[in-house]
Amino acid sequence: MTTSTLSAKPNALVEAFQRRRVGPYLFVIGFGLAVLFIFGPEQFINALTKGGIYALVALGYTMVYGIIELINFAHGDVFMVGAFVSLFVLTSVLGQQGPAADPLMMLVIIGIDCLITGVVMGVIGMTIERFAYRPLRNAPRLAPLITAIGVSFILINIIQILYGPSPINTPQIIPPTARVEIAGVSIGWINIFIIGLSVALMVGLQVFVSRTKLGRAMRSTAQDREAAQLMGVDINRTIAATFFIGSALAGVAGVVQGLYLGNISFTLGFQSGLKAFTAAVLGGIGNIAGAALGGFVIGFVEVSAAASGFNVWGQAAVFVVLIMTLIFRPSGLLGQQLGERA
Amino acid sequence: MDRKKLGALAFGAMLVAAACSAGSGSPAPTAGGGESPAATDGGSASKGTLKIGVSLPLSGGPAADGQPTLKGAILAVEEINAAGGIGGYMLEVVQLDHAVNGKYNEQQGAADMQNFVSQPDVIGIVGPYNSAVAKVQIPIGNSAGLLQCSPANTNMSLTLPEFGALDYRKANPDKITYIRVAANDTIQGPAMADYAYNTLGLKNLLVVDDVTTFGKGVADTFQAAFEGYGGTVNRQAAGADTVDFNDLITAAKSKNPDGVYYGGVVTSGGGLFLKQLRQQGLAIPFTGPDGINNGTGKNAGSLFQIAGPEASKNTFSTVAAIGDFPAKKDFDLRFTERFKDDADFKTPGAYSGPGYACTTIIADSLKGFLESSPDADQAAIREGVRAWATDSSHSFETVLGTEVFDKNGDTTQPYISFYSEDPAGGEGTGAWKFEEQRNYGGQ
Repeated sequence: MTTSTLSAKPNALVEAFQRRRVGPYLFVIGFGLAVLFIFGPEQFINALTKGGIYALVALGYTMVYGIIELINFAHGDVFMVGAFVSLFVLTSVLGQQGPAADPLMMLVIIGIDCLITGVVMGVIGMTIERFAYRPLRNAPRLAPLITAIGVSFILINIIQILYGPSPINTPQIIPPTARVEIAGVSIGWINIFIIGLSVALMVGLQVFVSRTKLGRAMRSTAQDREAAQLMGVDINRTIAATFFIGSALAGVAGVVQGLYLGNISFTLGFQSGLKAFTAAVLGGIGNIAGAALGGFVIGFVEVSAAASGFNVWGQAAVFVVLIMTLIFRPSGLLGQQLGERA
Repeated sequence: MDRKKLGALAFGAMLVAAACSAGSGSPAPTAGGGESPAATDGGSASKGTLKIGVSLPLSGGPAADGQPTLKGAILAVEEINAAGGIGGYMLEVVQLDHAVNGKYNEQQGAADMQNFVSQPDVIGIVGPYNSAVAKVQIPIGNSAGLLQCSPANTNMSLTLPEFGALDYRKANPDKITYIRVAANDTIQGPAMADYAYNTLGLKNLLVVDDVTTFGKGVADTFQAAFEGYGGTVNRQAAGADTVDFNDLITAAKSKNPDGVYYGGVVTSGGGLFLKQLRQQGLAIPFTGPDGINNGTGKNAGSLFQIAGPEASKNTFSTVAAIGDFPAKKDFDLRFTERFKDDADFKTPGAYSGPGYACTTIIADSLKGFLESSPDADQAAIREGVRAWATDSSHSFETVLGTEVFDKNGDTTQPYISFYSEDPAGGEGTGAWKFEEQRNYGGQ
């Protein structure tokens, strides 16, 4: 530790800057503002909407990696199954075919759908963990990774058998044509809803992890599993809860995906899952706020590519971002807070 | 400890089984039991059965393209067999589905072609539907000398040497094994450009292609022709996996397009693109090639079904086939009567007639060849059919009219038909309505 001979103020400021990791937040905000001013508010809203969905899925990736250091490749397909469960709930259980009658009904229907889908996907996530990952908890790292890929195939095949290989239309409870004028810009209600829901869930998750007992258990298990066990944390229950929450969030993301585009297909998991994984790595895998930031950054990147006329390069751009991150800042934007540092 | 091992073993076996079955091409679902109409060996001196292979994408999204076409071929074979077969032989349809995971798959198409080539009693193929699959199948057919008649391929590089067709004929450059009854995209693209500019009065278009052989090819010829008329084009691309076109649409709105041309097929996202265009408030005319013309709103996987009835309004398409052919009413009646008990695709599609015609052409070639060599063996029959069909001096009376093939395998009577969306069709879900057709032969 070196003591500085310069005056205290700049050091304290720099220290605070680094400790609070203001840098990465400024970067994301700056990127966002650039998109807003260069490409316009409509594209900005597009980016936030997409980014919100990616972020919700990325949260599951990041939480699972943080706690058992497994990249859960099946998570993208949990998101896809969530979209289909939502379709089932909306059409068969709630009997909806299209937009609901009034805003209150819309919120009620979506609320019930999110609740049911979230719980169902949470249970599915817990079941996957119990039977596919828990037995391999002490196995070499490669084994659960391969198992995850296998689980991914199983989920894809089940949906393919149940629903067929074609894309399916989903009811759009909030009609995409319902728009509102804010400061001269026409914004869809569905976009506002998605962004609002994503941010609320992310903040809620952060509060949960930092303030509640279960959250503390999750953080401590992530930091040092043996020590946590010694302190009386029930590891199995904690990990199961992590999977439940992560999968429930992916389920809600699936609901939102169906509402947003009005069409889902069993290949959704592969496409979006990979991008959400990129978002998680970009933000710092294991870091919840990082996953949120990463999601939005991926949204900005995709929209920038499309708006510049390089739409085909959008996908490639996302993966270039991933590679650059891994080379130049492997710990991601916010670094890994939960890890094996002394 | 033992139970754990057993459980893990069982789970592992399940995973292996799942992984093995994932992504494999599914066997083609038989279309209403019409797969093997060659039943009894009735009639006079019967020499057995010869097979006509059908290579189309038959499941998932592309079923809306492939199934009606397949049924045209099945109908043709059944009618030929009912009339006593050809030269003592009965005909049989052998269908192979190259759709994998809901999209047409070139590798599966190549594997299917090899499969057909290896069966000596296959004398000709009807198919494929997608130009990208034809690209891998033509070399295989060429080296084996097996005739292939496509009802629907339109990409110009498949037949025209100036666009690279000789690359597909490297094994036997002088042997044509690939013929098609569809007009190619050097005609289809400019035809819609003419219609869009002159008939619909559009001047400033957004053109999007799906980055495939067919999509990019037809969008290129369309754009060149449209700009030639004096229109302006904002050209964008969206890969075949795209589901979210919103950024592209938002970016394009600033250029104030008065119409859209989508160079691609519905499985590349055409339906979603149309839906999202309307959601962003662009009710402008949506035009496209035959890739977007695949059935009414009641057919699973069709453009109208994915986009929904509201979004489907104000759409136009071309089909690289004659739309109002002389025998159409009668053909439609026979088709609907034959397939009325099927679960889906009970009415003829845009390429049912061409599928029927291709089958007729193969059968007539067989007939012509057998007249001079009635006792030829299967290998000689295969070559004889090929030589007969690709001989420009032979003409074929098909349900589409008279077909003759030029030295490249293209039809000498290329028709383009124009369709618009009829909101009342398909029981209110939208259907394609025939507007007019033009014969570009002799150009």
